[in-house]
Amino acid sequence: MNKTQFTFGVYVMGLFFIFLQPAFCQDEYQFDLSEIEKEIEKKPYYLGGFLEFRPVVFGLDRNAAFYKLKFFDQDEGATQEQYNFGLRLEGGYQKGIGSLYFRADGLLWHDYQGWDNDTVLQEGYLSLKPSPSFTLNTGKEVVQWGKGYAFNTVAFVSRPKDPDDPTEALEGYYVVTADLIKSFMGPLKTVALTPVILPVTEDINDDFGEVDHINFAAKLYLLLWDTDMDLLFFTGESRSTRFGFDFSRNIKTNFEIHGELAWINDFDKKSIDSQGNLSIDESDILRYLFGIRYLTDDEITFILEYYHNGGGISRDSAKNFYRYADRAYDTFLTTGDSSQLTRASNLSKGTLTIAKPMRNYLYFRASWKEPFDILYFTPAIFSIVNIDDQSLSLTPELLYNPITNLELRLRSAFLIGGKNTEYGEKLNDYKIELRARYYF
Amino acid sequence: MIKSLSIIIMCLCLTVPAYSDDGDAILQKVDRNLNPEAFEMYRKLINVEPDGSKKEFIMYSVKKGRDQIASVFLSPASEKSRATLRVGENMWLYIPNVGKPIRITSLQSVTGGIFNNADIMRLDYSAEYNCDKVEKREGLLLLHLKAKTRAVAYDSIKMWLNEKKLLPSKIECFASSGMLIKTLYFKKVQDFGDGIVRPAVIETDSPLHKGYKSVMIFAKIKNKDLPDEVFTLNFLSRVESLR
Repeated sequence: MNKTQFTFGVYVMGLFFIFLQPAFCQDEYQFDLSEIEKEIEKKPYYLGGFLEFRPVVFGLDRNAAFYKLKFFDQDEGATQEQYNFGLRLEGGYQKGIGSLYFRADGLLWHDYQGWDNDTVLQEGYLSLKPSPSFTLNTGKEVVQWGKGYAFNTVAFVSRPKDPDDPTEALEGYYVVTADLIKSFMGPLKTVALTPVILPVTEDINDDFGEVDHINFAAKLYLLLWDTDMDLLFFTGESRSTRFGFDFSRNIKTNFEIHGELAWINDFDKKSIDSQGNLSIDESDILRYLFGIRYLTDDEITFILEYYHNGGGISRDSAKNFYRYADRAYDTFLTTGDSSQLTRASNLSKGTLTIAKPMRNYLYFRASWKEPFDILYFTPAIFSIVNIDDQSLSLTPELLYNPITNLELRLRSAFLIGGKNTEYGEKLNDYKIELRARYYF
Repeated sequence: MIKSLSIIIMCLCLTVPAYSDDGDAILQKVDRNLNPEAFEMYRKLINVEPDGSKKEFIMYSVKKGRDQIASVFLSPASEKSRATLRVGENMWLYIPNVGKPIRITSLQSVTGGIFNNADIMRLDYSAEYNCDKVEKREGLLLLHLKAKTRAVAYDSIKMWLNEKKLLPSKIECFASSGMLIKTLYFKKVQDFGDGIVRPAVIETDSPLHKGYKSVMIFAKIKNKDLPDEVFTLNFLSRVESLR
């Protein structure tokens, strides 16, 4: 099968799964309370998860900087395919005030480099809940802070989420956290304090920052005048000190606004000159976002978010990098010397290969829940615009749950941008992905 | 002429409300008959499509006072541990692993189907509606309810009550335009113990979704002492531990 046929095959298979599901005709519902009581009987443990199959086709952009950096000495053709198989296992055990929880992912994939696999403990922690107003957790846990949908500027103790898939579960860090909650009558309804201790050693959390330090963070949450508000801070030697504020409020029942602001001290701000030299300037920076979520009478949800990253790569630095990569490729073509390409590749790490590396982005998403009376079907489209260089990604998506516990998602991402722009210089021009998940 | 006038006067007399009782007081009694002040319950939600195919959800919920309710999905596996919280008009959805709860609206539906979030996380009717008029019709008591604020999911409601038990048998929900959005049918009155006697089944259909039906079956409704801290964002991921 050639690659064009494969591309077409993935698309047709996706459409087949999504639209040609057989109807599962069943009887009218039964009213039997004793049967329901059996179903809801509580067990001290549970085990669940999902199986996933995710074939992907990448349409390569052979003129892009990142294509040249990766495949300068190979001919990969116009498309590449990847087959991903996943298994998620999660479970818990509860006894008295104590409980255990774990979530682990096993991945197996095949791409142009052959077969590979990975297993990750995403979360695993012990929780003590002596009362509803106090909880103590210790272990590997996701501590997700912030109100943004696609971006978070105040998520000081978690890994960055992927704006292309912001609802996907993240991997946690090893932490000790507590939750103290107090409720009140009046305009201030809730106050909650969440302190966090995050150690970084060579064995745990080593990708968080500088090792051999213990870091502290805290979040103070208020529900005041029907508005969610958080005051946050992080301090420690592994990363620089930072302070944050976020809020979320419903202006109307179908109209929500949210925002986040983070002030980061002594941030290593990176820039790249025309010769491909990296320089780091330590300075205080501001990151913020502002967003809205609006629901129409037809159940179309619009999400709009503006994100500013004061520590991001500037437009000029990005241009310098792409031009340097082009020159390095030309040198390779004329002399066969790939050392400059290797240098450019190293330069891109920590600068332009991280998610949304530049300064100003706009995220837009529109999703239509159950249009035309098709239950459990949600078509959507979203776009991430790099405001600095006017390049963007555009992703239509179809999500369908045809039968209980089966979730199908078909999406195509198109990357649009000119020369020396973020999306114009990415490895791919487009990506088509089918994701089938069966939960158990 | 005199005969016609007499008939008109008689008709007008018949449309005068049959009850002088305070409609809001009746509504508060209905609320207490449907559930205690603070309680826990289990619900099975069934969405039925025109071809007969079904999807079922099981939820555990706790409610306290007139305007605090928290729920968590126990099944199916794809929805397990998703939790919702409502405090007044504030509504949040917590998706496990994603972490932070997001604000949602009463018009959306976390389950799909005809029940929206306002139905699934229903507050006391008296917390959201004033009773404008009480009538007696077809052997039932008819309460005309009007939303207290524009934030409420339905602009007005017609609630048909069993006069003796003061339990609803049918509720019609209207938009501000006067359009009927959905009808809820209350069926199968059961004794759940603790003095809780109420319909165990609510069926709903909608002229906007012809052929579709959603059903809510109640089980194990019990009084439960609950601290206010249970109804907070920080506790939302732990609602299931209350079972």
